[in-house]
Amino acid sequence: MKIIIDGKELEVEGKKTILNIAQENDIFIPSLCDHPRLAPFGGCRLCIVEIKGRKNYAPSCCTYADDGMEIKTKTPRLQRLRREILELILSEHPNACLICSEKENCDDYKSTIRKVGETTGCVLCSNNGRCELQDIVETQQIEQVKFPSFYRDFEVKKSDPFFDRNYNLCILCGRCVRICHEVRGASAIAFVNRGSQTVVGTVLDLPLLDSGCQFCGACVDVCPTGALTERAIKYEMLPEETKKSVCPLCSAGCELKIDLMGGKILGSKPSEDGAVNRGQACVKGRFIIRDLVYSPRRILKPLIRANKKLEEVSWEEALDFVTRRLKKYKGKEIALITSPQLSCEDNYLFQKFARERLKTENIGSSYSFSPLAVYHEMSQKNQLGLALNFKIRDISKAKVIFLLGEDLAVSHPLIWLEVLEAVKNGAKLIVASPNELPLNRFSSLWLQIKPGSEFHLLSFLSRILIENGGAGRLSRIEEFDSFKNSLNKLDISQVFEITGITEKELIKTARLLLEEEPAAFLFGMGLTQHPWGSQNVAALQNLALQTQAQLFPLGLENNLRGLFEVGRNYPDKGLAFNKIIQGASSGDIKALYLAGPMPYLNKAKLEFLVLQDCYINENFELADAVLPATTFAETEGTFINEEGRVQRFKKVVEPVGDAKPDWWVISQLACKMGNKGFNYKDVSGIMKEMSKVIPGFSNISYLKLENGKEIFIRDEKKRRKSFIPLKDNGPLYKTSKKYPYLLFVDYSLDYYRSLPLGRESLGLRKIRDSRWIKISPEDAKKLKLDEGESLRVESSSGSFNGFVKIIESMPKGTISTSLLWSEDSDFSAVSFFTGFFQEENALGMLPVKIKRGK
Amino acid sequence: MKEKILSKHFVLENFYKIDVYLQKKGYQAVKKALNEKTPENILEEVKAANLRGRGGAGFPAGVKWSFVPQQVDKPKYLCVNADEGEPGTFKDRYIMSHDPHLLLEGIIITSYCVGIHTAFIYIRGEYEAVALRLEKAISEAYKNGFLGKNILESGFDLDVYVHRGAGAYICGEETALLESLEGKRGNPRLKPPFPASIGLFQSPTVINNVETLSNIPSIILKGAKWFCKKGLPEDGGTRIFGVSGMVKKPGIYELSIGTNLKDIIFKHAKGMAEGKKLKAVIPGGLSAPILKADEIDIKMDFDSLVNANSMLGSAAIVVIDEDTSILDVLKVVTRFYSHESCGQCTPCRIGSSWINKIVRRICDGKGKNGDIDNIIRLASNILGNTLCPLGDAAAMPILAIIKKFREEIESYVSN
Repeated sequence: MKIIIDGKELEVEGKKTILNIAQENDIFIPSLCDHPRLAPFGGCRLCIVEIKGRKNYAPSCCTYADDGMEIKTKTPRLQRLRREILELILSEHPNACLICSEKENCDDYKSTIRKVGETTGCVLCSNNGRCELQDIVETQQIEQVKFPSFYRDFEVKKSDPFFDRNYNLCILCGRCVRICHEVRGASAIAFVNRGSQTVVGTVLDLPLLDSGCQFCGACVDVCPTGALTERAIKYEMLPEETKKSVCPLCSAGCELKIDLMGGKILGSKPSEDGAVNRGQACVKGRFIIRDLVYSPRRILKPLIRANKKLEEVSWEEALDFVTRRLKKYKGKEIALITSPQLSCEDNYLFQKFARERLKTENIGSSYSFSPLAVYHEMSQKNQLGLALNFKIRDISKAKVIFLLGEDLAVSHPLIWLEVLEAVKNGAKLIVASPNELPLNRFSSLWLQIKPGSEFHLLSFLSRILIENGGAGRLSRIEEFDSFKNSLNKLDISQVFEITGITEKELIKTARLLLEEEPAAFLFGMGLTQHPWGSQNVAALQNLALQTQAQLFPLGLENNLRGLFEVGRNYPDKGLAFNKIIQGASSGDIKALYLAGPMPYLNKAKLEFLVLQDCYINENFELADAVLPATTFAETEGTFINEEGRVQRFKKVVEPVGDAKPDWWVISQLACKMGNKGFNYKDVSGIMKEMSKVIPGFSNISYLKLENGKEIFIRDEKKRRKSFIPLKDNGPLYKTSKKYPYLLFVDYSLDYYRSLPLGRESLGLRKIRDSRWIKISPEDAKKLKLDEGESLRVESSSGSFNGFVKIIESMPKGTISTSLLWSEDSDFSAVSFFTGFFQEENALGMLPVKIKRGK
Repeated sequence: MKEKILSKHFVLENFYKIDVYLQKKGYQAVKKALNEKTPENILEEVKAANLRGRGGAGFPAGVKWSFVPQQVDKPKYLCVNADEGEPGTFKDRYIMSHDPHLLLEGIIITSYCVGIHTAFIYIRGEYEAVALRLEKAISEAYKNGFLGKNILESGFDLDVYVHRGAGAYICGEETALLESLEGKRGNPRLKPPFPASIGLFQSPTVINNVETLSNIPSIILKGAKWFCKKGLPEDGGTRIFGVSGMVKKPGIYELSIGTNLKDIIFKHAKGMAEGKKLKAVIPGGLSAPILKADEIDIKMDFDSLVNANSMLGSAAIVVIDEDTSILDVLKVVTRFYSHESCGQCTPCRIGSSWINKIVRRICDGKGKNGDIDNIIRLASNILGNTLCPLGDAAAMPILAIIKKFREEIESYVSN
């Protein structure tokens, strides 16, 4: 269709608002409430235009173009009206500077300290220079505001983590309310009161902490004024430079814009054109990046143990020392721990170094506890060749979503957004979890299962589908009969007893699963952590075959996939993570090279321990050599996110202290131990080699990535459709009189390398402290426990401490805690689980007892 | 007028009880509609009756119903707008408290006509006693088989719920009403889409005023022709005029549409109280532009009042005598609308609040030169420049008062 704007004839395709069309054609129409991610609002009224034949002016942000429309955007009457509306807004917004005739001169003389109790004009506003209202006023030539300034005198809200809310600067565009509701699904804020008293607020004016806020910062990012500002950089100047990077704090791989000043990080924001995140991030990517780079726990200099004490030395000395000592051990006596938070290049060099120089295959990582590992092993064992790649965006297109073993709000905020979009488009969401999750608000069905009963839930579902839906075409799929027979042992009358779910609910679930397609099954560590995790995934795979669903394994760490792809290139497998720990305790492993998270090694009988990390952790005191590593922001390389997307990240700032990239450290050590094959100038050389050596990487080139090409890692090709006969692993975790509570783990991934993020960020600690031990109100009442009290958890294999956190949604008789790898040993639940590391992939749950005090 | 349509039984004792209602041949219209008529018949009849909406906008009810798509896979809803919030208006309260079954009959027939199986009566929160009475009437109707499953063996099902508002004027605006009914903040929605296609819970929805629906039973019983004769050819039936203010006999008067305003005040309401002189009349609820004493020789129908630059609105007539300061009227008007703006559109939210502040200042004797022009400028900027009609409703009466009584207001400013 054709429309005319300001005499310019424009060809328009599809349903678009006049404002969008104008923006696409560089016709400026002022607007404050419109935002590309949000539904039209039509509140600020600055975007009014004149449409031929219409009596009233139309807001262009919510008026859709029609064929033949003639639109004027700049008639004198419109301009006047716009100015008067803007004056109204300014009458309630501190405006002294906006209309001051001396404003050009003022900038030169104003003091830099602007921390003021009350903002009266732009010069004193923390948002000066990045304010959309300021920009709009600039375009509208306001010379005076005919109304006296009206100060609304709202109390500035400063009690919440990360950002301040000063609604005296709010112009009620509603962007924050709408993004919180429409895009983030948190609905923590809303308009309250009416008329001139209208303001943005929370329910009963509670702090955001108690109102369901996830502190994703989306509201801060869309706020056009200084009403919402990040507290840490509130009075900083504008950034001198902004560089792109990739967030290393979960497996989604959000693209970030990192603001820099004086070569230091000011803050981080989600990138609007990020392929995965499209302008969204979560609390970690938005507010914690700076803290993790500039943590006071960063290791700044290489150290070696001399005369029983760690002493600072030069890199040359440290490397020589490590080389000398490592050479003393035979291959099998050495083990390395690497990390899924390191780049593909780093991990490749670790593998190569271990095999070619140290002659050991003992290289482990926490990868083995990931859903990806369990899923892939199940696929391998049954020769299914299941796809590891998926498209995150496909989740939003699903019509049925089945979620197991993951709290998306905490561990996968970006996946949460996709699920939300699907639900908005009419998808049915089924959640199976023992505790009530924030996402359950959007579910069609919540299956409150007994902890650890997923296997039986899935098996019962499969059986019901077979019994009610008939076998049909499914019977032609391989192994159908043996699968069907393996389900025969299930006694349907026991379903409630075992899973806590009634037969009726199961039938309803089965119906929902069959009703519509496409179906997406999302699962996380809660499903795979058990000793029978592999059987859980097999049961889910069977169910997916029955309902034609796609499986989405949701891992935690950002480069799990990269680590896996590098590792799978080596068919010979040494000791796994848990066996390395056991080896270190028994003395079979004599030298340990740590570049990844590891529980406190105080009981290990090691002769030589190298710690290559960014942060001081409890193993620091045990180390014989400490090598300071860079964080992701100080180096470069590639990550592969959970969907298999290859993501290039570049150096953003110079390293802190003498920290060096992990790949550099390894290549230097390797060069000292031999003279071939490790002479890399930079990461591009490593990737070039990788693309030749590792088949999965053959299609990857930096050049293509930098030119904006989307590259996905090569995936399994030989798929085989087959059911998997299931093996019932018997009873669930049983509590006893001695250990009456069941402990399970929250997988929050609130750590970067060995740094618990809550340790560095007081804000995050307020939202979710890794030392919290969550307990139901009933149990707390029974034990007379108050919030915040010290609590000791004991099992047959150890004990740890924490603080009571009463959570409504915790099921009675269970407690939960975060899984941190290197928190203070006293508080580390993982060291507690080490005794439980029998199965390679299992962390599991434990029957425990709890008592007040330390 | 000899035979009234709506208020005929208001004087009868206990008429709100279904036994009394049935004794007086109640629910005959429902029986006739469900047993003898098809939905198409009813729609034709209502269209022919030229029944225009009694809430204020005067949109023909039959046409509104015909906008609802016939074949949809979603449920359809009827929302009865009983959020009678327009200052001066109290007609729906009388219907609901004195003759609730008449409204229920209207609801049943309308639902049958449009193919609706769930109806909500959104009643303003302050009408607590009325809401209780409605709920009682609904339960009586269920017991007698006029609501619920398979009404009168016709195979038609209908459930009716009463939903009480929380005291916001804006929730009388139909889309804000839907938001509120959905449990959200009562802010108006962008239109299009209109509620007939996407309304309550994203489903096709009919929204009608209480008085509108209460006219339906007599249209069914006596026919469109009879109904039209009760009013004007293009504007059928009667209106319940609620007369308040300085008259001898304030109250509700059901009269033919097109009755002269002068007659309503001086004949029916028995003229001015205490022998005072008439100063001005607000003819259709607070948002209707004011009429001066010499403008009241006018027919009370939608079109005549529009021609006089006012509106019939909810037909609530507020009579103002010579002793009343026009500034006080202006103060009431501006305070009300600045308080009731939902806060979404800048001109209405901040504009109406500035107007109120200026008027209050004038009332305090601190008026300034240019105040009146500022009020006019602010009000004109609201006019036609907001999402919902509340903006217009706020601006129109203010502009009319200033236009017609400028001299008097100026005298307050200069003194």
